Amino acid sequence: MSRDRPRPDGGAGRASARLQNALRQLPEGGIERQAVDAGEIDAVVDYANSNIIMFPFARRALRDTAKGAAAAGANRQPALQGPVANSVLAALPRADYERLLPGLEPVALKHGEVLHEEGAPIRYVYFLVDSVVSLLTRTEGQRTAATGMVGYEGMVGMSLVYGVDASSARAQVLAAGSAMRMPAERFRDEFRLCLPLQRELYRYAYVELAQARQAAACISSHHLEQLLARMLLMISDRSGSQDIFLTQEYLAGTLRARRESITQAAATLRSRKLISYSRGKISIVRRKGLEAASCSCYKKIETLHAV
Amino acid sequence: MRQRSAKSKSQPAGFTTVVVLRLYVAGGAPNSMLAIANLESICAEYLKDGHRLEVVDVLEDPHRAMAEGVLVTPSLTKLSPQPVAKVVGNLSDRRRVLLALGLKPDVA
Repeated sequence: MSRDRPRPDGGAGRASARLQNALRQLPEGGIERQAVDAGEIDAVVDYANSNIIMFPFARRALRDTAKGAAAAGANRQPALQGPVANSVLAALPRADYERLLPGLEPVALKHGEVLHEEGAPIRYVYFLVDSVVSLLTRTEGQRTAATGMVGYEGMVGMSLVYGVDASSARAQVLAAGSAMRMPAERFRDEFRLCLPLQRELYRYAYVELAQARQAAACISSHHLEQLLARMLLMISDRSGSQDIFLTQEYLAGTLRARRESITQAAATLRSRKLISYSRGKISIVRRKGLEAASCSCYKKIETLHAV
Repeated sequence: MRQRSAKSKSQPAGFTTVVVLRLYVAGGAPNSMLAIANLESICAEYLKDGHRLEVVDVLEDPHRAMAEGVLVTPSLTKLSPQPVAKVVGNLSDRRRVLLALGLKPDVA
């Protein structure tokens, strides 16, 4: 919190005089003054004193909100807010989140980076924010198939939740972005002690399992265009971007199809002006249309997060 | 990086246009909350995927507000595409917001 935050307990007369001074600085007849007259403004920026001056009604409202939140109990306050937060961390009570915070390190994940190798010990767990990680399972030799996708809704390193130290799949970054990571040792301690963290991760474990089941059913029963549409939508939802960087090999491995079939399915979606692509980048052009082109599994998987 | 919009010959013209918006608010003050709700509703209806919105709390970062020339909150700036446009107030006047964003109010 900035020290420049206006003091709510400042004398009413002095605050009012400062507000009047700041209001006088607004351009004569400008849109700002009109909005002030219409009662649509909460605060004025006071350039002379480098401060923000709140209107009394707005200040009262903020104070009442703060009181209401305190009365509701500190434990019920969400730790993080906003669309960029990781859902698991955001669902924790504030006190628990604040205890975890010193152990969390913000990191930028690069496209293609391998976070965990299949069978190797887990050194860090990752709470994703706007990055997307693909879970790849080895089939034969060095060939892999994507068997899971993690985004802001979950955590990478779920083996530790089940008491296993090694990763069951290779975790590779599919869409670059940010995440919060925690050393595995610290995570084990926190997980053992923190019931809300256990509850959230068991809930996510259920979501991950249900998602994998739905995806398996989807692959065996729907057309390739539908699968491709669903996959693109799921990645876009997690990365918050319409541009997706994928290779044909990845798509072929994930959707269990030949590369030629993938090319054909992508061309069909492009001919319907739902996507465009060039040199490894696929862009969603018409999202609504792509949703209509995907199967019902997309909606089913996305609603699982509300569990 | 993800906001970059490289053009290729195969892309239909115009689809990469992304409206970049910045909304300055004063914490959870009433007009600020209303402006966020109004803007989210407009974006959901008219700009579903073609926009990037950043909400800046001037109480958290007053220096940034000053560096960026903000006079009052709530205050909405359309940064891209050009020309830059500004709307102040709680954004209840939908028509005015749509015009500032370069959208026709009667066209969805």
